[in-house]
Amino acid sequence: MNFERKLPIRLLQFFCHPDLLEDIVGDLHELYEENRNVGGEGKANRLLWVEVIRLFRPGIIKNILGTYATDTIGIYRNYFKVSWRNLAKNKVFSAINIISLSVGITACLIIFLFIRDELSFDNFHAKRDRIYRLCELQTWPGTNPQNVPISWPKMGYILPDYFPEVEMCARYNNRGEELMQSGNKKLVVKNVAGVDSTFLQVFDFEMIAGNRKTALVDPLSIVITEDVARRFFNSTDVVGKALHNDGKEYNITGVLKNIPENSHLQFDMLYSLSTLRADRPNFNDETGSNFMIAYALLKPNSDVDAIEKKFPDFLTSLVDDEEINQAYKLFLQPLKDVHLASMDIEHDYQNYRKFNGTYVRVFMLTGIFILIIACVNFMNLTTARSNTRFREIGVRKSIGAKKMQLVHQFILESVQLAVIALVIGFSIGYLVLPFLNDLITRQLSMATIFSDPGLTAGILGISILLGIISGLYPSLYLSSFRPIHILKVVGSRSKSLLRSTLVIVQFSLAIGMIVSTIIVVQQLFFIQNKDIGFNKDHMLLISLNDEANEKYELMKEELQKDPHILGVTASGQRIGNNFHQYGFKYKKDTSILRIVPSNVTVDYNYLDVYEIKIKSGRNFSEEMATDDGKAFIINESFAKKLDFEDPLGQQLGHGWYDNDSLGRIIGVTEDFNFNSLHYEVNALSMVVHTDWNFSEMSVKLNGNNLQAGIDAIEKIWNENVTDSGYPFSYKFLDEHFDEVYKSDQQMGSVVTIMAILSILVGCLGLFGLASISIEQRIKEIGIRKALGATTSELLILLSKNYAALIVVSLLIASPLAYLYLDRWLTNFAFHISINPLIFLLGGLIAMIIAILTISFHTFRASRTNPVDALHYE
Amino acid sequence: MSNKSLGEFEEIVLLTVAILYEDAYGVSIKKDIETRLNRNVSVGAMRTALSRLEKKGFLKSHFGEVTKERGGKRKRYFRVTQPGKTALEEVMESRKKLWDAIPAMSFDF
Repeated sequence: MNFERKLPIRLLQFFCHPDLLEDIVGDLHELYEENRNVGGEGKANRLLWVEVIRLFRPGIIKNILGTYATDTIGIYRNYFKVSWRNLAKNKVFSAINIISLSVGITACLIIFLFIRDELSFDNFHAKRDRIYRLCELQTWPGTNPQNVPISWPKMGYILPDYFPEVEMCARYNNRGEELMQSGNKKLVVKNVAGVDSTFLQVFDFEMIAGNRKTALVDPLSIVITEDVARRFFNSTDVVGKALHNDGKEYNITGVLKNIPENSHLQFDMLYSLSTLRADRPNFNDETGSNFMIAYALLKPNSDVDAIEKKFPDFLTSLVDDEEINQAYKLFLQPLKDVHLASMDIEHDYQNYRKFNGTYVRVFMLTGIFILIIACVNFMNLTTARSNTRFREIGVRKSIGAKKMQLVHQFILESVQLAVIALVIGFSIGYLVLPFLNDLITRQLSMATIFSDPGLTAGILGISILLGIISGLYPSLYLSSFRPIHILKVVGSRSKSLLRSTLVIVQFSLAIGMIVSTIIVVQQLFFIQNKDIGFNKDHMLLISLNDEANEKYELMKEELQKDPHILGVTASGQRIGNNFHQYGFKYKKDTSILRIVPSNVTVDYNYLDVYEIKIKSGRNFSEEMATDDGKAFIINESFAKKLDFEDPLGQQLGHGWYDNDSLGRIIGVTEDFNFNSLHYEVNALSMVVHTDWNFSEMSVKLNGNNLQAGIDAIEKIWNENVTDSGYPFSYKFLDEHFDEVYKSDQQMGSVVTIMAILSILVGCLGLFGLASISIEQRIKEIGIRKALGATTSELLILLSKNYAALIVVSLLIASPLAYLYLDRWLTNFAFHISINPLIFLLGGLIAMIIAILTISFHTFRASRTNPVDALHYE
Repeated sequence: MSNKSLGEFEEIVLLTVAILYEDAYGVSIKKDIETRLNRNVSVGAMRTALSRLEKKGFLKSHFGEVTKERGGKRKRYFRVTQPGKTALEEVMESRKKLWDAIPAMSFDF
């Protein structure tokens, strides 16, 4: 057997330093022969093994990093020097690389901050993983099924008794604003809510003073925020003091820190729900009416599914109604979903800054897209410009640089660039964030990144990773050249299939984003301008307290005299959300049937002021005595559900009316979108109840001089609402609608900005690529010109490759964008249909921008004097 | 490796290279030490010592001719350099000084 094929020798060859290998193997061979002659083959083999194993020691083993010990620090210093020289030498390309990476990084940093802010909602509650919001899926006859976060008072009250898994339950009932008084000081407290005594134990709102467990036990106890405390008393040391409202004295039992911005519950004052029992002794047993929000704190490791399975039995235990489970299906929504996953939940009014969680993903995606486009720029420009580094690589290789060393060098260069880009990107972000905050109404701050060392390190780490990823391909590409080839043939044309593919990736992403922007903007425009069946322009909403309600007729009369005011009306609920559903009954043939439409109480002239069109029948009239409570105007959807040949004159009434004294349908309106355009139009009934309180007054102003109108209302308000001292405050209905579509609008702005950035960064790359390829073809262009090619022919010649790439990108991007956008549009019950021409338009925009970008080079190239290009050879 | 001192084993190897003069290569050095000093020497230990001595500049080496023996592997011959000689002399010198300083009574058993 050949000595060198022996296992110990092969092992030695594997680990031994190559310089020592030859003579060691020779020595071993000599010894082996000798040993074999003396002691036989077996002994010789054994001794050989012993020798080889004893050779496994430092000094003999080869260096893992390379055969030779090198001056690592010196080499790296050289790398830095060379990369700086390269950056400085090709200023245009360095700028393109750095700018596109910086823009990508800025976009990602801002999106990161945005998402972090959104995800931080309700995170400060220590027990957040065990807190659930009790929700209902309501399936009423006559109304589209809807998810709601509200429930009967009894549900939340009984919950902990019925389910051993529920540790405690805290109910929350928003009361809106209240006028509170301390001495002579009367101030409106904006958000007042009644809560169970357990509320501050379930949730960890920070308390400055008072006892978490007992503060909200006794009736007439209130807990206020430090803001409210300061406004009334100029101090936060107010436990034991009292505030008055409506003749009652409320004792302050606790002071909370101001509610953080990232809490879905926002309140300024909490009062104990036990307060209510003075007037409503059976409050905790109330069923049927859904208005409480109940938060259940489960015991650790509880099985939510198991609880939800028991809900039907739970409901039948609460009320004596066989069919209760057909109308209600209860479910538990985890607290972490409340902020970002509640878009399908209606009547969700206690959900501050509710946001569409899927848009968080959209933002993340757009950020990643821009980064990809920026990285591709780097890869393309580096590889396309590889010939400028040929000599360097060749020389390095000839004097012994290993492939891995070159890979290190080029990756180090791109990491260096990424870190520079991070610093610039961060600075850009710092500058633009204030403007962006205005646009998306957030309070994001770049400083957040430094608030947590882990985060700072993470972002730095990701940037370095980004440098490694974008440097990996160029470094492998550049280091793979054979020195003999590159030193001899300078400026060879390298194949660019991969480069073309990367350009296609870039432009597919960019076109996809352009098309998405156009369609999103179209849909948002559609939402804002769709004829929603009533007029919301110049409509002022003024909330009414008891006194203002009493004096409503008086004020209305005075207001209507003012020339700046076109109409005054009032309603029990605000238009723009879903109206609450009420139990109704109607008479068909001889039987009484039940139905649950949305219902709103209105003033006689509501339809006139809101310009809601009556399709058949008549409007409410003050002359008709029965129009107070016994006359209903319904919308077309409701009429369809009722399915009468002629709905006019049919008997209809609230659920509590006697069967033989129902009211009548006096009119049918056209369907109007009283809810947001995300939802279909529900069945709706409108009724006048003069003895019921209105929640809001709607004043239609003359658009020519809004301020004069507002001043007039304020004056009349202050003259009339004197006893309670309730201050005048208003809101435009437009603002309310903006709130409803805020999530969509913000998504629209972000996508638009991102699309612009993506095409910008993509074109920067194209600009660089075009300049390289034209430089390489400058002789060809010279010859063509010398032979008589015209400028326009050359322009076409030089642009057509890029045009082809963009056409391919369009073909790739269109179907994907279509699928995504089509799904997005189904979010809206009312939406535009996608016009295929939009895709062509998107492609055309990309094409025009791209051609214009490269035309800077093509035009210059085609105009040069061929002599300049050719005279060297 | 600025440490130019000689270890005990290094000293033996260096001396043996000097003894063998023109025939100092791996196996001959190993054998010479084994027979002369009656101690077992592994190829690994010896080779490491040789490399170290070469790095310190006490030895220099060159390859011999290709021969049929040893599977065609060349021998690496070692020669002591001037610094090597100096180093050996220093060691001897310092030992001698120490020996001279020992009072006769010390070894009076």
